[in-house]
Amino acid sequence: MRNQFRQLIRSGKFMTGFIIFNALVLLTIFYPIFNPGNPLAMIGFDSFIPPGTYFSLYDSVNPNIHVYTLRIPGADEARIQSLLPMDEREAMGEWLIREGVPKEQINIEDFTGLLELWFAHYNPDIRIDGMTIADRRFYQRLNAKVEGIFDIVDIHLYTYNNETEEYEFQAAISSEDYIRLRDVVNIVRLPLGTDNFGMDMMRKLVSAIGTSLLIGLIAGSIATVIGLILGLVAGYVGGIIDEIIMFFSNLFTVIPGFVLLILISYSIGQAGRSVTVIGIVIGLTAWVWTTRSVRSQVLSLRHRDHVSLSKLSGHSMPRIIIKDILPYIASYVVMAFILQISTAILAEAGLSMLGLGPRTTDVATLGLMMNWAMVYSAHLTGAWWAYYPVLLVIALISFSLNLMNTGLDQVFNPQLRN
Amino acid sequence: MNKTILEVNGLSTKYITRFREDVYAVRNVSFKVEEGHSLGIAGESGCGKSTLALSLMGYYFAPLHYISGDIIINGKNISGLKPDQVRKNVLGTEIAYIPQAAMNALNPTRKVIRFIEDVMYAHGSKMSKKEIYDLARERFEILNLPADTLHKFSVELSGGMKQRTVIAISTILSPKVLIADEPSSALDVSSQKMVIKMLHDLMDLGFIKAMLFITHELPLLYNVTDDIMVMYAGQIVEKGSKDQMIFDPIHPYSKGLMGSILVPEDGTRNIKLTAIPGTPPNLKNPPTGCSFAERCKYATSRCKVYDVEYTELEGGRGSRCLKPEHELRGLYDDGKVDFSNE
Amino acid sequence: MDESRSTYKKIVHSGYFKYYRKKTLWFLATLVAAVILNFVLPRLMPGDPLAAIMARLAPGIQDTEALRRIYEHYMVQFGLDRPVIQQFFIYVGNLFRGDLGLSFSRFPRPVSEIIMSAMPWTIGLQLPAIIVGWFIGNILGAIAAYSRNGFDRVLMPTALFVSGIPAFGMAIILLTVFGLNLGWFPIAGGYGIHLLPHLSWQFIGSIIYHYHLPFMSIVLIAIGGQALGMRSMSIYELNADYVRYSRFMGIKDRTIVRYIFRNAMLPQVTGLALSIGTMMGGALVAEIIFGYPGLGTTLLRAIREGDYPLISGITLVITIMVLIAVFLLEIIYGLIDPRVKAAQFE
Repeated sequence: MRNQFRQLIRSGKFMTGFIIFNALVLLTIFYPIFNPGNPLAMIGFDSFIPPGTYFSLYDSVNPNIHVYTLRIPGADEARIQSLLPMDEREAMGEWLIREGVPKEQINIEDFTGLLELWFAHYNPDIRIDGMTIADRRFYQRLNAKVEGIFDIVDIHLYTYNNETEEYEFQAAISSEDYIRLRDVVNIVRLPLGTDNFGMDMMRKLVSAIGTSLLIGLIAGSIATVIGLILGLVAGYVGGIIDEIIMFFSNLFTVIPGFVLLILISYSIGQAGRSVTVIGIVIGLTAWVWTTRSVRSQVLSLRHRDHVSLSKLSGHSMPRIIIKDILPYIASYVVMAFILQISTAILAEAGLSMLGLGPRTTDVATLGLMMNWAMVYSAHLTGAWWAYYPVLLVIALISFSLNLMNTGLDQVFNPQLRN
Repeated sequence: MNKTILEVNGLSTKYITRFREDVYAVRNVSFKVEEGHSLGIAGESGCGKSTLALSLMGYYFAPLHYISGDIIINGKNISGLKPDQVRKNVLGTEIAYIPQAAMNALNPTRKVIRFIEDVMYAHGSKMSKKEIYDLARERFEILNLPADTLHKFSVELSGGMKQRTVIAISTILSPKVLIADEPSSALDVSSQKMVIKMLHDLMDLGFIKAMLFITHELPLLYNVTDDIMVMYAGQIVEKGSKDQMIFDPIHPYSKGLMGSILVPEDGTRNIKLTAIPGTPPNLKNPPTGCSFAERCKYATSRCKVYDVEYTELEGGRGSRCLKPEHELRGLYDDGKVDFSNE
Repeated sequence: MDESRSTYKKIVHSGYFKYYRKKTLWFLATLVAAVILNFVLPRLMPGDPLAAIMARLAPGIQDTEALRRIYEHYMVQFGLDRPVIQQFFIYVGNLFRGDLGLSFSRFPRPVSEIIMSAMPWTIGLQLPAIIVGWFIGNILGAIAAYSRNGFDRVLMPTALFVSGIPAFGMAIILLTVFGLNLGWFPIAGGYGIHLLPHLSWQFIGSIIYHYHLPFMSIVLIAIGGQALGMRSMSIYELNADYVRYSRFMGIKDRTIVRYIFRNAMLPQVTGLALSIGTMMGGALVAEIIFGYPGLGTTLLRAIREGDYPLISGITLVITIMVLIAVFLLEIIYGLIDPRVKAAQFE
């Protein structure tokens, strides 16, 4: 046993899986400690806010914040460039091409070059074939913007006085004014942005990992306990009981588990579907594999010398099972348990995708997060942060558990060794 | 003097484990087998006798690796050949192997005749399938195997039949040397007899020229082979004719090994069965000095330090012990070595 | 007379016959069990099932007259006022006539009709995808097991990672990468939205164009799982006694690889039979991502709209499809593994 333990630690596969899995578990424990708060709090009024650091615009013009004047080379150019986004530059390029400027000359990446070409060629009076009046108006507006783009003026802040019903001048902000970010009172970090409800994705994801692992744990424990008991009884007692158990386990191997899951979850109804209930339901449909593997192990153990000896010595059945059989099948049970956890997490994800997962209002699970991201078409609107991290976590959990399982298998099942 | 069919000089091989550790399973083994002779190899499990059998094939694949030494079959040294040459020109034609677990030696999804065809074609045979079939049927019939065996799958054959089929396949190309690794230990007595008879037939009919028979069942060796070689910790400990080895072993280990068997004609009741205490050395780090010294009742401090050479004695026998023969004989007072009083 | 009798005896006692009889009986037994489960599970829930269903449904339907009609229809069709045993026989009787009831959400369209229109899409998508994935996976797994070097070091973790991704996840990845970012393939539907289903090259072309991504996502997942299984089966075979014996008989490496591939593939057929249910389940959810007009998408709609008869019909049809697939795989297995025939003689 100690030797096998040593082999496990030396097994690269097992340790990689173990480290990934534990990193995820530690994340669920420590992230909420350093970033306390309700993971389901709806902080965003918009859906799918992209990841980043957000600071309050209101607080940044607070008169108590010290304003520094900094003359940064290139700051103006960067500002001007940011005023002319790519789609407008493309439009300019398009006009120039229609006007007859050779395509090779136009490079919309080259800001100054583009402007030079524009000033040299643009004339609002030129009529270009196929251009509607709306198009012409658009280009006239664009031209006005381009011409004014170099005028850097101060921004003036006014506040509205309710009594006098007038705007009162407060301050002028020059292009060389800077404030220190730390001086802004309200800064929010959203490493993964927000979801469709405006909830902090990172916080929600961490909490969802915990919930999904809990579902995996509940389902895995139930499936393992049922599978272990049925497998032991079938293998050890044998006879008609074995045949009955095997009939049912064969039956549920071919009748797909997810069909049962769908039927049961639907029948329970939205109100009844708590995390625990979902875990239990998944566990109840997943015991088959453990039963089969335990039974076949017990069958081969039943006639081993030490078991026969124990029987001849008149030991009771529970004693024989606990002392002489369980230690030998422990590794298989652990492997089955690990697999059960990962299948349960995937099953929850699948169920939630069908809208049969746990109640959304209570908790976040990985499956529910995927489901809502899809319902709100995050994948079509480019809000990758709403589903790719979740997907990655699902894959990592499953990957790490499978790795651990493979490592265990290689240590305890010598035939797979190379 | 008969012609030497198999000559092995200083053969050493090792296993490389999963954790990159070397296990020296066959260490500097040399011996000869003459035409028409059969040599038995005996020893405890793990003594290297099966590994020796694998090493003699001259065809190495992981985890077994060749270190040094020569294998000369019928005057041809095969240890210098490339693996593919060995495969094509040596295996099956010069030297053939009957595995320890013949129960699973046949591909479960291939009919016997299909496998024989594969064997023939792998050695560059130009025969048609019909010709191969005729040849196989003839050979099977000579060896008293029903011809319809050829059209069966391995699962359709009983244990004894499977083993005999494997023997027939192994010798289909009439190899010079046949190595049988415990070919009968898993069988019932009557099947065992048939297998032994078959091996004798193969020798008598000239299909094979020499045989190596490996087993831990010493009485069986007495019935099957002419000479016996005892192995311990990857080395040859003693070699001699079967009568010498069974009734008059001189090395303390052989003495102990022979002491652990029942010889029926020998007034069994009065003989105390003995077992050798202790375990063989770990071959990851073979001990200096005599490998058996740790377990030997007669070992002196010298035995644990000095390497012991294998010494040829009179009449083709030899032994690996620091003590000379007469001194050894003097040690066993009542003709039996007794390790059990320790 | 005597001769035909002996031929009959020969057939009845032949290994294949026994094997197929056993498998057919088992297929029928599982079929019955599946029907019972489909009937019993929803009725195990406390309360009047129909009332519960109607309550869930009611917000969706404003027309109280329609609601009453649906209610009455179901009372009569399922005989809900009668004892449970009688209800079961009514249910089975309806099944035999192919009558799965009327859809709630698309009343009065029959459930069977809705399912029949979705089923070809699902079968046409999943059957080829699973078969292709199975073959490629087996080949990759065998190569990995045999080469045991760089290829294995890459394939093994990749396959392990891929097999951990749910099929819908793979669907999302392919959709965003190849559909949205690269724009190579359409992102939704089974055919162009401007087309009406009809038999023409244009329509078939559109189907094939829309087929790529859903097909690939199922294939990739299947490859991952199958490659892993085949790899460990091949390693197991590689260490088998017959491989060592064949080597010592001078058999060529290529021939041995063929032995191993064939023998490792046999348990993979059984393995596919055991995992096909899970695979199909995953693939159904993947359909949803693409809005593919198959059973998965229909099931999602039915669940959202509380269309109980449709849900129940779809789950039954899926179960039967899985059972048939398993049955066929076992028949195939019996044909290709000589051990099956021999084992029945014992």
